[in-house]
Amino acid sequence: MAVTRMFGASVKRREDARMMTGRAHYTDDVRRNHTVHMSVVRSPYAHANITNIDSSEAAQMPGVVGVFTGADLVDDVAPVPCAWLLPDCNLKVPEYRAIAVDKARFVGDPVAVVIAEDRYQAEDAADAVKVSYEPLDVVTNQEAAVKDGAPQLYDDVPNNLAFQWKLSGGNFEEANQSADIRISQRFVNQRLIPNAMETRGVLADYNPGSGSLEVWLTSQNPHIHRLLLSAVTGIPEMNIRVDSTDVGGGFGSKIPLYGGEMIACGIAKKLGKPVKWMESRRENYVTTAHGRDHIDYVDLAATSDGKITGIRVEAYANHGAYLSTAAPGVPTWLFGTMLSGPYKIPNIECTMNGVLTNTTTTDAYRGAGRPEATYLLERMMDLLAKETGLDPVEVRRRNFIQPDEFPYTVATTLQYDSGNYDAALDQALEMVGYEELRKKQEDLRSQGRYLGIGFSTYVEVCGLAPSSAAGMMGFQGGLWESATVRVHPSGKATVLTGASPHGQGEETTFAQLVSHETGIPFHDIEIVHGDTDRIPFGWGTYGSRSTAVGGSAIVYASRNIVEKAKRFAAHMLESSPEDIDFNDGVFSVKGSPERSKTIQDVALAAHLAWDLPEGEKPGLEDSYFFDPTNFTFPFGTHICVVEVDAETGTTEVQKYVAVDDLGNVINPMIVDGQVHGGIAQGLAQALYEYAAYDEGGQLLTGSMMDYCVPKFEHIPHMDVGRTVTTTPVNPMGLKGAGETGTIASTPAVVNAIIDALSPLGIKHMDMPFTPQRVWEAIQERKGS
Amino acid sequence: MKISGSYTVNAEQQAVWDRLLDPDTLWNCLPGVQKLDKTGENEYDLAMNVGVGMIKGTYEGKVRISDLNEPHDYQMYVEGSGRPGFVKGTGKIELADQGDGTTEITYAGDVEVGGPVGSVAQRMLGSVSKRIVDQFFSCVEEQINKQGS
Repeated sequence: MAVTRMFGASVKRREDARMMTGRAHYTDDVRRNHTVHMSVVRSPYAHANITNIDSSEAAQMPGVVGVFTGADLVDDVAPVPCAWLLPDCNLKVPEYRAIAVDKARFVGDPVAVVIAEDRYQAEDAADAVKVSYEPLDVVTNQEAAVKDGAPQLYDDVPNNLAFQWKLSGGNFEEANQSADIRISQRFVNQRLIPNAMETRGVLADYNPGSGSLEVWLTSQNPHIHRLLLSAVTGIPEMNIRVDSTDVGGGFGSKIPLYGGEMIACGIAKKLGKPVKWMESRRENYVTTAHGRDHIDYVDLAATSDGKITGIRVEAYANHGAYLSTAAPGVPTWLFGTMLSGPYKIPNIECTMNGVLTNTTTTDAYRGAGRPEATYLLERMMDLLAKETGLDPVEVRRRNFIQPDEFPYTVATTLQYDSGNYDAALDQALEMVGYEELRKKQEDLRSQGRYLGIGFSTYVEVCGLAPSSAAGMMGFQGGLWESATVRVHPSGKATVLTGASPHGQGEETTFAQLVSHETGIPFHDIEIVHGDTDRIPFGWGTYGSRSTAVGGSAIVYASRNIVEKAKRFAAHMLESSPEDIDFNDGVFSVKGSPERSKTIQDVALAAHLAWDLPEGEKPGLEDSYFFDPTNFTFPFGTHICVVEVDAETGTTEVQKYVAVDDLGNVINPMIVDGQVHGGIAQGLAQALYEYAAYDEGGQLLTGSMMDYCVPKFEHIPHMDVGRTVTTTPVNPMGLKGAGETGTIASTPAVVNAIIDALSPLGIKHMDMPFTPQRVWEAIQERKGS
Repeated sequence: MKISGSYTVNAEQQAVWDRLLDPDTLWNCLPGVQKLDKTGENEYDLAMNVGVGMIKGTYEGKVRISDLNEPHDYQMYVEGSGRPGFVKGTGKIELADQGDGTTEITYAGDVEVGGPVGSVAQRMLGSVSKRIVDQFFSCVEEQINKQGS
């Protein structure tokens, strides 16, 4: 391996220059001649029969090219696909039309679209489309929706139950019967709204002459979208180009294929003109998939000395009105399998009810299933500590899987790759000054002040994933990743990756990887992603997989390049490959370092091909497809210290310490940024964010003025540390860093607040801990 | 959403009653009204331009007045829809002679809203409704006084 220092260096993000100076090409920045613009007429009712659509006035308005209803497009655009078909759980996938036909099922469900020469005309004409509705009874809550007599969204989905998924290992019932301690708790993991800086959008340009479709799309996985767009429009895959090079964030919400994008493609084909649609922020709030929204009933069995013997979860996930692309997998495989956390729990049982309601669809949102599992488990650990009288640190230590026990297979059948949970916990305790904090807490309590310390000792599953696991889970795709490393005659390199960064900084980290492996200078390496006409097939960016899986493909392709270059260098130096040293981009003869060729020399020779080594082909390029043998399992300890003001109910985060073990780290600065952003998002769930519906299915938090995305002043200082436990799963020994912050932070903050409030007898409250809710809870306790 | 309130008009109860039930009053006094067509006894088709916060637009719908108990109280039903969403409301309007030549109008109703006006502007709806009602009643008062003088 080369010994450049690029692996581990905090190189500044090279993509920022383009993004921060307005030189990125986001979907809305792309211009095509003769583009027409789409505006969507949406249902204001959460559940209603569409009795009539009168578009006669709209059709006459200036600039209007056409008005299309769901019925008009039934033959042009197939239903929105669901691509995670859970096996063995009686899954029912109801028909999900891109534009509702006959019936609208949530507020925001598209009812018609208007195409006009400019966006203003399209919006004005959409106002003039008259739709008559016959409102129907509405159900928004998943527990209510499965009850007999609840309003039914579909004739063929009884009780609105899309699936009932079960997973078990060991025998919980037995463990529970012989347990010294039994704890039960209901948790609400509230609905959240992802807020990517760039809303969703599409520019679809169909060329009737060639039969090809070019699509600029806000996508985290352009090849998956190309495949699905081909399926729904009937245009062959090789005739579709999807370009998602510059995408302004996603957090999971740009994994699914949505109706809006499909309609634009279908109409572009119908009209033979480019069609653009950019979602407004208001539309984004009601139509882009939401996240979380679980109700979890948890039972925990333990011995009197705090050892967990079993856990059972009976849960209800709210999927909204339709099953979004990856939706069924999120509250099942990505949730149930992680119920062991970092603990040895021999008996685990999970039943997940996937429920349809008159709300916006839900799908993956940063962490996707794993935050929900970690939240309930870490809350149960604190309840167990309370019940046993043990310190929350001690109760966790007693249950940790030990470093010498890896690889460790948990009851849910996952095999954890590596771990050292005590080490991360120890470091975090030292950073936060735990002993003094407990003393301070005592002192403040005696003054009537409420300080709380909360822990989250998490483990998560990352680096999605072995393709065989994808198949077993019913995910309708593979999860390998591809890379091509192409060294040009000048010795500069273009790297094509199937991963699809949209804010994570991989244009920088991947260039570091290639530079590290080949010795080609960082600035001589270009990373190409997101454009299906340039890159080989890839599955995209989600599940903290880009570097763990996509980066691995790049490393192996780079190593193959170096191997080939070494053979060329040996030939050029009249030596044999075994006698060639490779160091920082220079091949030299062992023992005679003055006899050397640079990788740039070799690249030129390989392209000129005037004198090829025996049996070699010209050029210096390699493509590699990497399918990991296992997931990766990052872990760590987050500690949050809060003070709750009992007079106002306000929570002040005084300290936040995160010690994450992500294995090796390519770019510490970028990883710190991922961790900081993740913590901010998880903390926001604990304290601020909540997508609220009224009884009629109206989203009450439909704008940034009503839905509290944290601002600068809401985010505390964070002290970030790391331990390093490498993984054998990939050649870099790294685990993935995209989601840990979100997964770990929510329970740390909640545990801290509950710890603060414990002198008042409060054992549990549901999120978010807004001042009003906390104040009310305090008043209730004080009054009783 | 429940809305309620009261407004005291400097006029006799019968005069207030007559004025409130006069379609011209709706036309003259309802802010943003763009169309008012009588479709039956105490029934009208209505188009009204209303802005709630950033959600502005025209609602088209119906107004119906029923259960008339002259000059004491009546029921009002309103529904309208448009790009900003929909609004539906029922309410009771009561008139009480204050004995000093003034009349107190009390209103209480239930309003349902949906679509953008429901999701973005619902928390501003209370104050906007109150403003519209106040404007309406103060205009009614002005009209009576104008007629009287």
